[in-house]
Formats: sequence, C-alpha cells, structure tokens
Amino acid sequence: MKKFNAKIIVVIAFAAGTMTACTKELDRQSFNNVEEDVALGTSGGVEAALIGAYSRAGDDNVLGGGFGVISELLGGGDEIGWSGTYQGYTQIYNKAIPKNNGFAQDTWTESYEAINVANKVLANLDKVTEGKKASIEGQAKFLRAAIYFDLIRLYAKAWNDGSPASNDGVPLVLTPTDEITEANKVPRSKVAEVYAQVIKDLQDAESLLTIPSSLNFYACRTTASALLARVYLQQGKYDLAAEEANKVLTTGKNSLTATYMDAFPVDYDNSNKVVGNTTEDVLAMQVTASTGYNDFNTFFSPLGRGDIEVNEKYFDDYESDDQRLDAYYDDGSIYCGKFDMVYGAVHIIRLAEMYLIRAEANFREGTSLGAAPVDDINVIRARAGLSGLGSVTLDQILLERRHELAFEGHKLHDVKRLQTAVGTIPWNSPKLVLPIPERETKINPSLTQNEGY
Amino acid sequence: MTAFLCSVLLFLSVQLPAQNKTVSGRVTDQKDGAPLVATVTVKGTTIATTTGADGSFKMAVPADAKLLVITSVGYVQKEVDAIEDLQITLSAGDNSLSEVVVVGYGTKIKRDLTGSVAKVGAKELGNTPVTSFENALQGRAAGVQVEQQNGKLGQGIKVRVRGSASVTAGNEPLYVIDGIPVTTTNLSSNGAQTSPLADINTNDIESIEILKDASSAAIYGSRGSNGVVLITTKRGKAGRSKIDFGFYTGSQKPTRHVKFLDAKQYVDFLTQAAVGAGKYEYRLGYWDTEEEGIADYMDYVESRFTRYSAGNDDWKTAKVNTNWEKLAFQRAPITQYDLSMNGGNEKTTFYVGGQYLDQTGIALANSLKRYNFRLNVDQKVNGWLTVGANLSYARTLNHRVSNDNAFSTPLQMVALSPITPVIDPRTGLLSGASDPDRSGNPGGPNTNYPVYYNGLLNVDNAYYHTYSNRSIGNIYGQAQISKSLSFRTELGMDQLNQTEEAYYGPLTERNAGYPKGGGFTTGDQIFNYTTNNYLRFNKELDIHSFDIVGGMSYQESNWFTQRGDAEGFPGPAYKKLTSAGTKSDVRSGEQEYSFLSYFARANYKLQDKYLLALSGRFDASSRFGPNNRWGFFPAASLGWIVSDEKFLENSKTISFLKLKASYGLTGNAEISNYPWQNLWAGNGAYALIPGQIPFQLYNPDLKWETTASMDFGAEIGILNNRVSFELDYYIRNTTDLLLNMEVPGSSGYTSQLKNLGKLTNRGFEFTINSENIITRDFRWTTNINFGLNRNKITDLNGIELGVGEYNRAREGQPLGVFVAREFAGADPANGDALYIKNTKGADGKIDRSTTNDYNEAEEVVIGNPNPKFIYGMRNNLVYKNFELDIFLQGVQGNNIYASGGQYMSSSGSNGFDNQTVDQLAAWKKPGDITMVPEARLFWPNGTDASSRYLYNGSYLRVKQVTLAYNLPKTLMNKFKMDRVRIYARAQNLFTITKYKGWDPEVNADYQATNINQNVDFYSIPQARTIIFGVNIGL
Repeated sequence: MKKFNAKIIVVIAFAAGTMTACTKELDRQSFNNVEEDVALGTSGGVEAALIGAYSRAGDDNVLGGGFGVISELLGGGDEIGWSGTYQGYTQIYNKAIPKNNGFAQDTWTESYEAINVANKVLANLDKVTEGKKASIEGQAKFLRAAIYFDLIRLYAKAWNDGSPASNDGVPLVLTPTDEITEANKVPRSKVAEVYAQVIKDLQDAESLLTIPSSLNFYACRTTASALLARVYLQQGKYDLAAEEANKVLTTGKNSLTATYMDAFPVDYDNSNKVVGNTTEDVLAMQVTASTGYNDFNTFFSPLGRGDIEVNEKYFDDYESDDQRLDAYYDDGSIYCGKFDMVYGAVHIIRLAEMYLIRAEANFREGTSLGAAPVDDINVIRARAGLSGLGSVTLDQILLERRHELAFEGHKLHDVKRLQTAVGTIPWNSPKLVLPIPERETKINPSLTQNEGY
Repeated sequence: MTAFLCSVLLFLSVQLPAQNKTVSGRVTDQKDGAPLVATVTVKGTTIATTTGADGSFKMAVPADAKLLVITSVGYVQKEVDAIEDLQITLSAGDNSLSEVVVVGYGTKIKRDLTGSVAKVGAKELGNTPVTSFENALQGRAAGVQVEQQNGKLGQGIKVRVRGSASVTAGNEPLYVIDGIPVTTTNLSSNGAQTSPLADINTNDIESIEILKDASSAAIYGSRGSNGVVLITTKRGKAGRSKIDFGFYTGSQKPTRHVKFLDAKQYVDFLTQAAVGAGKYEYRLGYWDTEEEGIADYMDYVESRFTRYSAGNDDWKTAKVNTNWEKLAFQRAPITQYDLSMNGGNEKTTFYVGGQYLDQTGIALANSLKRYNFRLNVDQKVNGWLTVGANLSYARTLNHRVSNDNAFSTPLQMVALSPITPVIDPRTGLLSGASDPDRSGNPGGPNTNYPVYYNGLLNVDNAYYHTYSNRSIGNIYGQAQISKSLSFRTELGMDQLNQTEEAYYGPLTERNAGYPKGGGFTTGDQIFNYTTNNYLRFNKELDIHSFDIVGGMSYQESNWFTQRGDAEGFPGPAYKKLTSAGTKSDVRSGEQEYSFLSYFARANYKLQDKYLLALSGRFDASSRFGPNNRWGFFPAASLGWIVSDEKFLENSKTISFLKLKASYGLTGNAEISNYPWQNLWAGNGAYALIPGQIPFQLYNPDLKWETTASMDFGAEIGILNNRVSFELDYYIRNTTDLLLNMEVPGSSGYTSQLKNLGKLTNRGFEFTINSENIITRDFRWTTNINFGLNRNKITDLNGIELGVGEYNRAREGQPLGVFVAREFAGADPANGDALYIKNTKGADGKIDRSTTNDYNEAEEVVIGNPNPKFIYGMRNNLVYKNFELDIFLQGVQGNNIYASGGQYMSSSGSNGFDNQTVDQLAAWKKPGDITMVPEARLFWPNGTDASSRYLYNGSYLRVKQVTLAYNLPKTLMNKFKMDRVRIYARAQNLFTITKYKGWDPEVNADYQATNINQNVDFYSIPQARTIIFGVNIGL
C-alpha cells in the first residue's frame, strides 16, 4: 500500500509541475524586427526611417530606374526597339496595356510604400533632435514630392491636357498608415491638387534644407530647386522654371563633368564596381551590391538584359562630331552605353538639365535670367565637343535637350509637354497614360479608371 | 522543463509494484501451425507483450488478471484465460478489424474506432523509388491528395487531407514521427520549395496513419485542421535476430516530352511572324505601304536568324537542327541500398536500419545522395517500467537546379532557337560562352547570342548544392502505475541543419550577373523539441469499458538562419566565397515559436458495441497576441456496431456493420512567427547607410483559424469480411480564416494578416478492400479508394486575393480558381486574338459577343485547379512464388494553366522563343478558322492571361507495377536464408491525359502557394522509373 502511494505522489507532483511550468514560454519577441514604438521612439530611429524612405524611393520600379524606363518605353517610338521577354514592358512599349499590367501595378505599390515611409517620418518629427528637424522634414517632403510627381505624370492626364483642376490624378496620402480601415480606400485627387502638393512639399524642402558644404547624395536645397524647375517646366510656368534652374546653377554646388562620358563613368574591366555621384549629379539614387536598383542598367545595357536597342534612325539629327555619340555602341545591335555599370548610381537630375531648362524657359519668356539662352546651350554644346552657336531657336534648344538627356527618363513627359507624338499616337492619347492597376480598382472601388481602359 | 525532469527522476525512484502471476504460451496459425507475431494484452488494461519469432510469450501480470486478448494482423482476435502454457491458434480472416491503428497519444483496435483514420503500411510504401515518403502515399488513402510540383529531386510536395482548409495559413497536415511533431519548414533559398521530409527513410516506416476527421485530429487541437500524419517507425521484435538486405537499381526518364519546331519550321514560322508584324503595323498606320512594313521586318528577322545561327547562313538550309528540349534532360540512374537488423529478447528489443540512396535526376545536372541510419531500442527495466529511445540521422546532398522561372533552369532551354548550334563554330565552345568581338570585354560570354542564356553553360560553370544533416530522436519512459493506470513521458527533438552553397562562374554572367563569378552560402539550424506527458487509464467493469488519456504537451522551435553573398573571383578556379573580391551581402536572423497544450480523451464502450469518444485540447501559442492566446478544441463521436445486435448476428451476408458519427473543432496555427506585432525591419539601408522601414501592421486580436468538422461513416464487411467497405461523408466549415487580406496599395502595404472569412469542404470517400480469390496457390486482392471533395470559399469580406495572377481566392468559388479573360480563337477576318466580352449589360444579361480589345473583355472564372475526385486502385496477384502488383492512381476534373504558353505557344508573337508545333496552325489569311491567332513578331497576339492556355488536367496513371519472385523455401533453407525476393518495378509507367504539356502533375515551383496551384511554367515533368531489386532476409 505504501508503494502505491508513492506513485500517486509522483503523478500529482508531475501534474502540478507541468500545469504551471511553461506559460511564460509563450511570450516571444521578434529577434529580427522591432516594435514601431521602439523603432520610432528616438531621434535616431526617425533618422533611420528617413534612410529607409530613401531605400524605398530607390526601389526598382520607383526612382531605381523604373519611372524612367516606363517613360522611355511608353514614350518610345521607332527610334528604339524592345526585344525583351518581360511582357509587361512589351505591352507598355506597344502602347497596348492591359489593366493588369505588372509594371503598372508594381510601380504603384512600391511608390506608395516609399510615400508611407516618408509619411511615417513626417508624423514623428517631434522625436527628432531640434538641430536636425528641419533637415529630416525637408528630405522626407522632397522624397514624397519626387514620387508624387512621377505618379501624377504616369497615371493621369498631362498638366496641359484639358483641365488639371477636373482631371483625376492619383490618391494623395499624406499621413502614415497605422491600421487598415475604410478610410484607406482613398479616391483620386485632381491633377491640380497633386501638383499643388508636390510644389508645396518642394517649396517646404527648399526652405527647410540647406546647401551642404561638400557633395553628398542626400536631397538638399539645390535638389529641391532643381526638381521644382522640372515641375514648373512641365506646367509651362517658364518664369518660375527659369528662376529655380538659375538657383541651382548659381549655387556652384554642382559642376559639369569634363566630357559627356565622364557623367556616365564606366569601367569595363571592373563592371561590378560601385559608382557613386559625379560632380554633375544633382540627384542620383545610389546602388551598391547589396542596396538599391538600377533598372536603366537592367534594360538598356547589354551587361544587364539589353532589352532596349537604339535604332539607326535615332542618330539622323546628330552632328557627326558630337561626342555624345560615344555613348552608343554596336554589339550586334546598337545599345545605349550610359548605364553599363550595374552598381552605378541612377541619374535622376543632372546639372546639364538645369542649363537646358534655364535656356528653354528664358527663351520662351524672352528673358536672360542668369544667362542668355544661347550661352547656356553653348555650355552644353562645348562639353559635347561641338562648336558654339551664334544664336538659337526653340527647336535648337529642344534638339540639344533631346541629345543631352536621351534615354534618361524624359521622353514621355517631353512628348506631352511639347505636345508632339509617339509615332502616330498623339501626345494626349489615353494610350500614353498607364491604367490604374486592376488590383487597386477592385480593392478600392472609389478609384476611377483612366480613359481607354 | 525542470518540472518535467523532476517528474522523470521521481519516477525512476519509485519501486517495483506488486505483480504476482505469470502467463505464458505460444500463438500459431490454425491452418499450418506457423508461429505468429501477435500482441497479447491483459483484457481491460494496457499491460501487453509481443510474441517472439517462435510465437511464444511470457509475461508477469497482476494476480487478478482473468482474460488475455490475442491480436495479430490478418487474424481473428481471440480471448483466452490468463494462465500458463497456453497453446493458442488464430484463424485467418477478418483482416482489418483487429488491426492496431495508431492514434494521437495511443493506439486503438480498428473495430473500436469512431473517427476516420487511414492507414498505409510498410508493404505499400517500401522500396518505392521516390525521394520523399509523401510521394509514396499518393493514391494510397481515400481523401488524401498528394502532388509533387515537378520532377526535380527533393522538390516541394503538396499534401491535402480532405481539401484545403485555409487560404493564407498552412494547408499541409501536421507530421508527427513516433509522437513528436517534426519540422517541415521549407529552407530552400532559390525560390522553389524543397520538402524537408525528404530526410526520412521510407523503408524505416512501419506504418503511416492519417487522422482525417475532427474526432481523431482534435487531440492535436490547434494544428489538426489539415489532418495529422502519424508516422510510426519500425521496432524490434523479440526472438531470433533478423537481417534484411535490400538493393535496387534502375533508371528514370521524363514521363512525357513536348514537341517544338525544328530548324526549318522555326525559320519559316518566324518569317511568317515577321510578315505578320509588318502587315499589322501597316494596319496601325505605322507604314505608308504594307510592303515597307514587311521589308523592314524581313531585314530585322533575317539579321536575327543569322545572329542566332552563330553568325552564318546555316539557317537558310536548316543545316543545324538542335533539339533543345531533349538537352534539358539527362541519363538518370537510381540505386538504393538498405540494411536493417532487428531482434531482441523479452526484456530488450532493437531495430537498426541504414540506407544509402544515390539518385540522378532527369533534369540536367540534378542529383541527390542520402545516407540514413536509425536505432530504435526498447527496454523493460523491470516489471512496471519500460524505457526506450529512437534515434535517426540523415545526411542529404542535393545538387539542385534553378527554379522554374530562371533562364538557367534546364527546361527554359526550349526557348532557344533550333538553328542555334550547341557548339559555336566560331569559338569551338558552347554557344554563349564567348564572344570574341564583345565590346569592352572581348572573349567574354555573349550578351545576345543565343536568343536567351544557354542553360547548358550552367552544367560546368555553376552549382547549387544543399547539404542537410537531420537528427530526429526521442526517449520515453512508460510506467504501469496500477493495473489500469499507466503513465508515459516522452522527450523528443528534431534538429535540422542545412547549408546551401551556390556558385555562378564568369560564363554564367548573362544569367547570374557576375562578370567575375559570384555566389552565396546559407546556413539554417532548426532545433525543435517536444515533451509529451500523459496518463492512460484502462478499465473494464462488466459491460462498461473505459479508455482515458490525459496529459500535456509542450513544443518549442528555434530557427537560426544566416546567409553570405560575394562576387568577383580572381579566376574561374576559385569558387569559395573566401576568394571573392567583394563580400556583397551578409545576413543573419532568428525566430522561434512555442505551443503549450493540455489534452484529454475518453473512450467509452458499452456491451462492446456502443462506442463513445470525447476529446478536448487547450492550446496556446506564442504566434498569437495576448488578447487571443488560448483556444479550446473539443470533439465527440459515436459508434454503433450494428452487426453485433441480435437482428444482424446471424446474417449470412453482412459480417460486420459499424455506423459512426463525429463532430469537433480543430485549429490552424501555421502562420509566420510574430504575425500580430507592429513591426519595423532594419533592412532599409541606403547606400550602405543603415535604415529602417515598416514591416507589418499591428493586429493584437489575431487568433486561431477554426474548422468545425462533421463526419458520418459506415464500415461494412460482407462474406465473412472478405469484402469490406468504408464510407464517409464529411462537412468541414472553417471560420475566422487567417487571411492575408489585400489592402489598397496606396496605404503603403499590400496585405495584412487578419481573421476574416469562411470556407467549406464537403466530401465523400470510400474504400473497398476485397479478397477476390483466395486459394492455396493463388490470391487476388483489390483495394480501391476514392475521394471526392468540394471546396468553396463562402466569405472573404468582399475582397479577392491574387488579382493579377492566374489563381484567385474568390468568394463563392473554390480556392485557387483560374480567373482570366475567355479566349475565343483568332478573328477569321484579321487574325486578332478574340475574347468573349462577358460584360454585364444594363438588362443584367451577359454579353457573349467577342472583342479584339483585351481590356474590353471582363475576366471570369475559367477553370478550377482542384480535382473533382481522386482515386487509387491496387490489384495484387500472388501465384505460388510470383507476385504481380498493379497500382493505378488518378485525378479527375481539374484544370492546368500552362503559363509558359505565353512564350512557347504564343503564335510566334512574343519574340524569338521557339514554339510548340501546335502554333503552326496560326491564322494566315482572311477566312481562316483557328484557335491560334496570327503570328506577329513582337506584337503579342493573345498571350495575355486567358483560357487559351487552360487545359484539362485530369489523368489516370499506371503509378506502380511490380513483378516479384520469391525464391522457393527449399532453396532458402539450403542457403540458410529466410527469404530472397527479386523484383522489377515501374513507377509512373504511363499516363493517360488530355494535357498538352509535359506532365499533368505539376505546379510551377517558383510561384506555388495555397492559392497558386496547377500552373505549368517550364516545369520539369515527373519521372518514369524502372528498377530491378532484390531483398534478402537472413
């Protein structure tokens, strides 16, 4: 009988032991990630989130080249050829885009992902050390504006196409997402509203940011002015465009590289070298082996996929001694060699563009703010190894612009701004506007679809 | 843990209880007196022993033990008085009813089961020439769907028990080996899943039980919704030690091939496509005359032909005609060696097994080697305490190939032009290996020849090796506290260490992007341990019989992972990352989860014919927020053995009839770890400066997904149980779906895990086992199983998952339905692809007219990847020493979306990809009626998602045919051997299907999810294997 009791005791001891042993073992904290209140609890955390906003902005379908490649393909006529296997880009190049086009979708979601990070930063400025606050706020606003500016140009009617005050733009989300409710089904703001927000953010950035004493790759006052110049040019507000471009050109922060090809450094012996900014990059998104993307490299360079070829006829209007022709080579097909470094920074704004904006805007306004149009054009021509002109016409300015900025993502927007055409497709054709992604219109029925889809 | 160890120690200190009577005897076959392996149990207790090889047994039992129950597989159960020197004979028949079935935390006699449990034994599983045991289960159990993604070795396998119960959370069953839940985490980092269960040696498995309904699975509570697969490994038997040696060798081939254009057809067809493009552009107004457009395209296409023909004019004469499809495959031998020993005495039994598998895959450069061993030991310490240990170790080396979506995956070579030679005559090297004129890098790999990267370059210039070391083991102690009460404690661990090493040499630059080579290595270590501690009470009181189990279980799993990437080697001979110039990336991470559970089950039997089972489990997991951490999962079932009632007792036809019904709740917790927390991730670096980005939204209410299941079943035996039927009808309703709810992209997120939505599975299953003919020399048995399941998502809160993909989760439809535009062939007038509008008019009517504007057509449900029913049929014929086993397996009523069709069957409109021969039917002139639109080079014509690429996926396969010969006993005795069996076996011998692609058992590995099913994208087909083998028993 005594032995039997011993066993009973064991069972009870065991049962009692296990019933209380392990409940605390159920509390597990993530090792790899941290809770938001910790992540954004300090000034350092918010600053790190700003870096995160740069990283998302540099995503492949955002400023990591995607915005530019879509502009070149959607705005591309028979001066280029597309032989890639990504059907989504084939559709964009053919101007026959289904609503479920993968690039239209990814560009949308990746853009808003970056915008949300910027919004998180802006909503947590109170945590930021006083001395850094202006810089953090200015940069976050700059990134948000840069992305909205590309979204509004890709997913909506052009500024100069009908009434921007009544044309649908894109959803304007200016606060961070903390939870998902019906309120997240944001309808499209008008084109004019989006432009107004872009300008406001850039003006804020311009006043909040300073000009750094040495070159770096973050947004600064100069960067904000440069993007503003581009926005005003798109709107045809030439006086303001000239004024902003002039600001960039007079700071002396950036300078043209000695030769045209120096602005696109390549090292074929070491083609996986990381290449950062040249003196000419007002804004470039950085790429390293482990961070960032360069979709220009992926699609233009034969060292990438080499899907985009340049056709002979593209070179018809070049002067034969134009050194910018050095950027093209024949490797079975003709390729644009500006983007041959896989880890080369993605050029978003080069200083040369500011000369061209100032020249065009001054010309159209009949002014000579900073310099006479012919002098600005001659700066660009001289760097390309071409002789100076005695005087310029608007066509000459625009031709110079085409040659100088070729394949850098301006094509579609210039077609619309200048009201020309892509082949036989007129500048204001609905075919030159991306569809609102089908996924988005299904999940958020308040989104209207673009004409033609 | 400490409490657990204390209890074990306390246990060991307990002294021997009083047992003062010995029973002994010998069990033999009534017919021929052959000794039988049988289980001898003291009736109404858990005190039991197994007979030795000579059929004898001896054990100590309580003084008041009255009856012994003798059971043996394939024999009628018998009860005898508990005395010494028993001579017990058992008669054959009543095969399955006395069979012991493993259930959670115990075993049951099949006759007494009230739940739905399928059992597959070693005989059916053994020596199947497949890499992973799940594959051997295919078609073997009713309602259990097994599907291997493709024919790559060790690749992911989908197992669905009674359909898919979840949309976002896991849909795979819980795998439990000898009582311990094992790790099934996919550790592959090339985008294609592998099966971690491929580490298990199929020949070590004694039986697999699949718990299908809530009554059997609810004891696994929060993880029972997808069914539970209980794997029991082989154990030693007392008696003479036996040695078994097995060997087989054979070869594998693709089940099917697909025909592509040859050189002449290719040139002609692509020329036709160029003309088509020229004409089309004229139609669009790009050219002033049609001739101009055509001439422009002809120039282009001819220059490309010359390029892809290695820069010469051979394409004009079809001098080179390369069959790239064939080159994707290789000679694929397979060899396996097995050696095992088992035996022991009354106190100690052991099983030792070892295996070596050397398998070459049918996919180019794919191979796998696996080494296993296992040791299972049981020791009766004294009259009341038994301890034991199981330990297995496996090392697997898998030389893998890229995922289906990579240019380097073997089957993407079909895209290369037949006019492209394998060896480039300009260099004498593989095409694509060197371009003497490459600008900037003369002699470097070609950048635009062949049309795509040549996958053959991967064979000698790249590798992707996976090494895994796996130890699964447990120790247990079982104590007989009193006659009717026993206690069992188990501590098990599963340690999985895996290393991957990938290398991409300079010649693979066009595919891998490393001009001077590059690669990565990963390391994963998953340590998963479980302890189970439970009491079992077993008592018979007159007409009442009780079997009660109750206890607790705790599981914890920790996963550490790391990865390093580097690139730029000093020369092609350097391959280890140490030698790389740029160490481009390094990562490490860790995660863990835990489950704490309390469970109980009571079985009550009245008059040996009225059965009742109740079970319940309280479960908590770290995966859920504090708001909803605990869940309760009860189940109840009833059974009635009608054939034991007076009115059926004397029936000549019906020898057994059982009716049963069950209802219960099970859960699903197969989601990521920490899914409810409001998290940021530190992977937001920019230009190497650290940064952080949002990771996931906050949801503290996240809880279990719950499935309520109802099952009605009958088991019928007729003609003295020579023919038996099992029928089951079930309804499974899943609520609070763990759903990756899609959210507006403008929120900055694409999805959030929430408890939202409902789905149901309803189905019907039956199994027939029939002994058709049994004579002295000839025996023919047939087993048939059939499972029909209807899956339907009843509520998704108005959203649709998978928009933009082929498969969707859509309300009112089965999981994964194919949604796309409905294709209507080529417009007879102009060759445009036509789609049926399917738009809803103002009058509510669907507009069935056609349009050539893809956007104008509405996407509709075009097909279903879920089969209407699945089935298996096995016929086993034994004549004297010969045995023929024919096993058929089939899947009926499902669809396949061949998404590779947009490139390979694109009517030559999507570039220079070689085309399947059926594209020759492309539209040519007004009036042509064809389903293949006009060929227009680089003007995709009908290649967007549509029913054009949807196929019937039904198939009937001759899954396995075995012809075996057992050498005569007389000969064996001469050589002092137990048995020698030689056999030939064919796996996937042939397949009947309407599918036009390679193999209908397919799911593109890079995109496979719960929702994305049955998509074919350059997927390697399944293998047809023929082996010759021998088994020798000593």
